[in-house]
Amino acid sequence: MPKILGIDLGTTNSAVAVVEGGEPNILENAEGNRTTPSIVALSKSNERLVGLLAKRQAVTNPKNTIFSVKRLVGRKFGDPEVQRDKTWLSYDIREGGTGGIEVKMGDRWYSPEEISAMVLAKLKTDAEAKLGEKVEEAVITVPAYFDDSQRQATKNAGEIAGFKVRRIINEPTAAALAYGLNKQKNEKIVVYDFGGGTFDISVLEVGDDTVEVKSTGGDTHLGGDDFDKRIQEYLVSEYKKQEGVDISKDPLALQRLKEAAERAKHELSSAVETEVNLPYITSDASGPKHFLLKLTRAKLESLVQDLIERSVTLTKETVTAEAPKGAGFKLSDVNEVILVGGQTRMPAIQNAVKNLFGKEPHKGINPDEVVAIGAAVQAGILQGDVKDILLLDVTPLSLSIETLGGVATPMIPKNTTVPTSKAQTFSTAADNQTSVEIHILQGERPMAADNKTLARFILDGVPPAPRGLPQVEVSFDIDANGILSVSAKDKATGKSQSVKIEASTSLSKDEVERLRREAAEHAEEDAKKRDLAESRNQADNLVYTAEKSIRDAGDKISAEAKNAVAEKVDTLKKVKDGSDAEAIKSAMANLSAEIQKVGQAYYGPKDGGETKDGSGNSEAKSD
Amino acid sequence: MSNEDQNEIMKTAADHGACKEKLGKCEEEKAEYLKGWQRTKADFINYKKDEVARLGEIARYGSEDLIKDLITVLDNFDLGLRALEKAGPVEKGIYMIRAQIEDILRKRGLERIPISVGEKFDPAVSEAIAEGESELDAGSIIEEIEPGYRLYDKILRPARVKVAKGKDTTNK
Repeated sequence: MPKILGIDLGTTNSAVAVVEGGEPNILENAEGNRTTPSIVALSKSNERLVGLLAKRQAVTNPKNTIFSVKRLVGRKFGDPEVQRDKTWLSYDIREGGTGGIEVKMGDRWYSPEEISAMVLAKLKTDAEAKLGEKVEEAVITVPAYFDDSQRQATKNAGEIAGFKVRRIINEPTAAALAYGLNKQKNEKIVVYDFGGGTFDISVLEVGDDTVEVKSTGGDTHLGGDDFDKRIQEYLVSEYKKQEGVDISKDPLALQRLKEAAERAKHELSSAVETEVNLPYITSDASGPKHFLLKLTRAKLESLVQDLIERSVTLTKETVTAEAPKGAGFKLSDVNEVILVGGQTRMPAIQNAVKNLFGKEPHKGINPDEVVAIGAAVQAGILQGDVKDILLLDVTPLSLSIETLGGVATPMIPKNTTVPTSKAQTFSTAADNQTSVEIHILQGERPMAADNKTLARFILDGVPPAPRGLPQVEVSFDIDANGILSVSAKDKATGKSQSVKIEASTSLSKDEVERLRREAAEHAEEDAKKRDLAESRNQADNLVYTAEKSIRDAGDKISAEAKNAVAEKVDTLKKVKDGSDAEAIKSAMANLSAEIQKVGQAYYGPKDGGETKDGSGNSEAKSD
Repeated sequence: MSNEDQNEIMKTAADHGACKEKLGKCEEEKAEYLKGWQRTKADFINYKKDEVARLGEIARYGSEDLIKDLITVLDNFDLGLRALEKAGPVEKGIYMIRAQIEDILRKRGLERIPISVGEKFDPAVSEAIAEGESELDAGSIIEEIEPGYRLYDKILRPARVKVAKGKDTTNK
């Protein structure tokens, strides 16, 4: 099945994702990065560079380094937006045939789609290298406000790059797809996309199998870069105040400052305070100078407050204004809000959006990657990867059996994908025990009594033997339909018993929720109960071992030593059925010490031939 | 042949037809399921292979962020060292500490990108952060401002360099 790529062809950066094994994943480029700068250059040695390499030489080659070409794609030269961009773009553009635009790189004039095609071609080559196979088809995203001509130009760019463009989809729609919101009928969704250089707001309405764009808004010249610039300016001015030196003229100092500003911005998304620490930033007659400044989240927020407010105003306008300017919805009509773009990691932005709509926005997927992920989801649907027959269920709750002391020992943990099977060997808890009861449980609580009983059965005919010796293999098997089969087999005689439980996975959502909630609520007291049960089991085992050792030793050890052990055994017996785990543990420690004394005197180092409690050899509850 | 016999034959033929149809459908389904099974199995085997490769990557690049942060410390150490050198002779121990840090990083796969003045600027390993007048040919490196580092095959940070404008440049 040939793969179809999902491509987020961005103004500053692009990303590629593909559905593999049913999950959309971002593909790293040749440089090992998850995003690729949307920059193309013709180097001074006439070499064509794309992505990071083009970016690295931009300073020395501004006229031949083409960035932000997405701002030009499919537009007319006379477009006011283009005329505005023309003033700050470092490369030359001119009017081409039929009123379009041409971009100069080296000695040649290119159409913007040819430049975009070069970016797409790199993405294609890198994706093929990563996947180890040829890729011919792609889904490419465009902003919701792109008109037919811009969409057609983007499609053309894809074809020039050698793709068969299966579909051009809107970036906000892709974001909604990534969150699986396309299945919710009659929902109103707002996508708040704060990228590096552009701010886009889109209002979507999900109908029957369609996602309709109700309105779009934003500012094509507002982005995270403006935030970085504000911090940088602040740092420069603070330094000037502190030291009287203007470091904005020193390229290395500025470079270090730029990186520090970006790092500080990132850190302040999770911490409330950070330190800009740049030793030896510059020097003057008095010697080297350093830069040390504490930057708080509050300070950062005050530096960019107006930018955030502007985005909120634009959002409100796009949602509430009457058509064609807005969608004509009330803010409270909006069902879902999605955050896209790296800048939305900033808590102040998340709060502003949350306060505006009165609901928590979706932000679980990396906001730099969510559009590419959504494009891959669309590609996956076209690819036919998501087939009903391959949808596998999971066990909503853990399945366990009851073992000694009323403990629920998990066999299949919750969220295991079915079909699956698991086998474990257990033994008996008492000497000459001839039958074991298999008690099958469902739930997350560590004690058997707190979980739901699914079934019980008895395996008898186990030959009489000392406890811990018989081997009973218990196996759980859940098929794709959720039918659980449990069997128990005595390895010595080959005798077995089994039970089949229908619909072990078909609990109602509420029931699963309730059981999980209960488990969380009782976690602490359950842990104590389990600890007590385990201590009792160990105590029981130790009493058995001690008594057996004394018996086996006969008259090889002194009566005095025997009495000392017997006394400690009695103490342990007295406390072991009580409910004080600490008392049991200390009595166990005393008895162990006593036995070791005897052992050292008689055997030399004690050998550990007896069964211990542990995985693979726990003891089944005695019947 | 009696009517009854004829009916019987017709019925058998109809049954036969129905059976054949059912068999055809079963065969079709069987092929589809088998294909799905093979694909899933192949996907799983491939996933395991990818996972092994991914674990390898994690082992190699797991400490990337930490190393990146330490490079900055190393840079600052060098800036400090240079400042000290200007002021007078520097205690040997300071150089030994520096060598120690570099050695630790080298053992974890970090390698400094060799850059020499006069060689052609290569954006694959370096980043131009400024241009300057020089006697050297246009596009030559005239100064390494900050060293670049490679972690195994990945450029962790390109070398920051100053590039010669040269006389024939068309750029401002």
